Amino acid sequence: MSALRRDAGIALAIARKDALSELRGRHATVSTLFFAAVVLLLFGFALGPDAERLADAAPGLLWLAVMFAGILAVNRLHLLETDDDALEQLALYPVSRRAIYAGKALGGLAVMLVLGIVVLGAVGILFAVDVAGAVVPLLVTIVLGAIGIAAVGTFYAGVTVRLRAREVMLPLLMLPVLAPLLLAAVKATAAAFAGDPFGELGAWLQLLVAFDVVMVVAGAATYGFLLEDG
Amino acid sequence: MPQTTIYVSPRSHGAPNERPPAVVTTDLARLFAGSAALAGVSLRVEAGRCVALLGPNGAGKTTLLRLLATVIRPSYGAAQVDGLDVARDADLVRERVAYLSHSTGLYDDLTARENLDFAATMLGTPDRAGRVERALADIGLGDRAGDRVRDFSAGMRRRLGLGRLLLGQASLVLLDEPTSALDEGGLGLVEQLLAAWRDVGVTVLVASHSADRIDRFIDARVVLDRGLVASVSGAGVTTVAPGAEPSHRPAVATR
Repeated sequence: MSALRRDAGIALAIARKDALSELRGRHATVSTLFFAAVVLLLFGFALGPDAERLADAAPGLLWLAVMFAGILAVNRLHLLETDDDALEQLALYPVSRRAIYAGKALGGLAVMLVLGIVVLGAVGILFAVDVAGAVVPLLVTIVLGAIGIAAVGTFYAGVTVRLRAREVMLPLLMLPVLAPLLLAAVKATAAAFAGDPFGELGAWLQLLVAFDVVMVVAGAATYGFLLEDG
Repeated sequence: MPQTTIYVSPRSHGAPNERPPAVVTTDLARLFAGSAALAGVSLRVEAGRCVALLGPNGAGKTTLLRLLATVIRPSYGAAQVDGLDVARDADLVRERVAYLSHSTGLYDDLTARENLDFAATMLGTPDRAGRVERALADIGLGDRAGDRVRDFSAGMRRRLGLGRLLLGQASLVLLDEPTSALDEGGLGLVEQLLAAWRDVGVTVLVASHSADRIDRFIDARVVLDRGLVASVSGAGVTTVAPGAEPSHRPAVATR
């Protein structure tokens, strides 16, 4: 069995384990969906009934909800490893560190994809934007954005998982790094909602792809050091 | 109840007397916040031996096991498992070591079977499903295999942690207080495991306050005190007296 195939099997096993835990505990899904719903509703009320205003704010609010909920999700998925010191046991298995990183990131990605699609539907209803008319570019944007958030979030959740102040530190560390992703994702989403009148959608999606590649490679290369306990 | 013969799958490593020492530590030290949990331990453990690490709380037993398991790195000195350096060859050492720590590292929302199946996947265990079922039966949890670990008692969790050790092909097993939280049946399970490992030539290091219950399986006793070897007795373990080896580390305060 090639090393790559074995790594893929390990990553899928970790993601499956996280998914099973999440399906039974629903810790990440419930908290993230609740948080996203509160963000969308509060901003919807604050912006008022002006349809044009709501539509202008929709891309930013969509990604605000996805990003903060994504931070909650990756944090929660790493907290699964702190129960009964499972992270130490995970680090002791004779498997590659990049496979462990990929597995944890896949788990976060799955939660965020579900979340992104639900939030996209909610934005379409609450903010008077045409989701159905641009569903493919919107889904591509959400997939690319979710990959980036999962890649960055998994790495920083690994950094903070042993800290007492992890809930505070995780967004503080993640948000500056996610700035280019958020810019590209919001711009791509706005272009998709508007029917891409200036032909800029492709460029923003390319930036998202580049961000994802850099962060996935960097995360996979360095995550192993985070598993070392001194 | 556990079956009479527990199945363990040893590495194909030849007879114990043909193998390199299972463990060699040279002036091994580990500092935490400037104080030494382990202050310079030099030990040589022959392959296939069962060694009890004894000593009071804070003696350095757990730190020594964690260093050998690659959980932590040495601050000074060196340690080898089957001739492999625990710091430089950590990936290869992990293939040879099975470690049961104070915590069991189980996932509460998974069932006992799912926990062992996950461990078997990570360990690359052949015939995974069969080995998991066998391990569940061996540890006496066959009838609770479908129950979530969240509902398990401390003793059942400990049994499941021991069951995970049966899934790999370790040549060195490290047990930190393996009998804690176990009832009489659980203690019998530990005895069966020690017998099975002995039969296939697996080296076992057991950290314990007292080795009374597993006394008949012990080949040698190493008593640690304040991070140093206080005494060694029995067969298969030798040590170097403090100061008899050149030390390259600065003087450190013990805890």
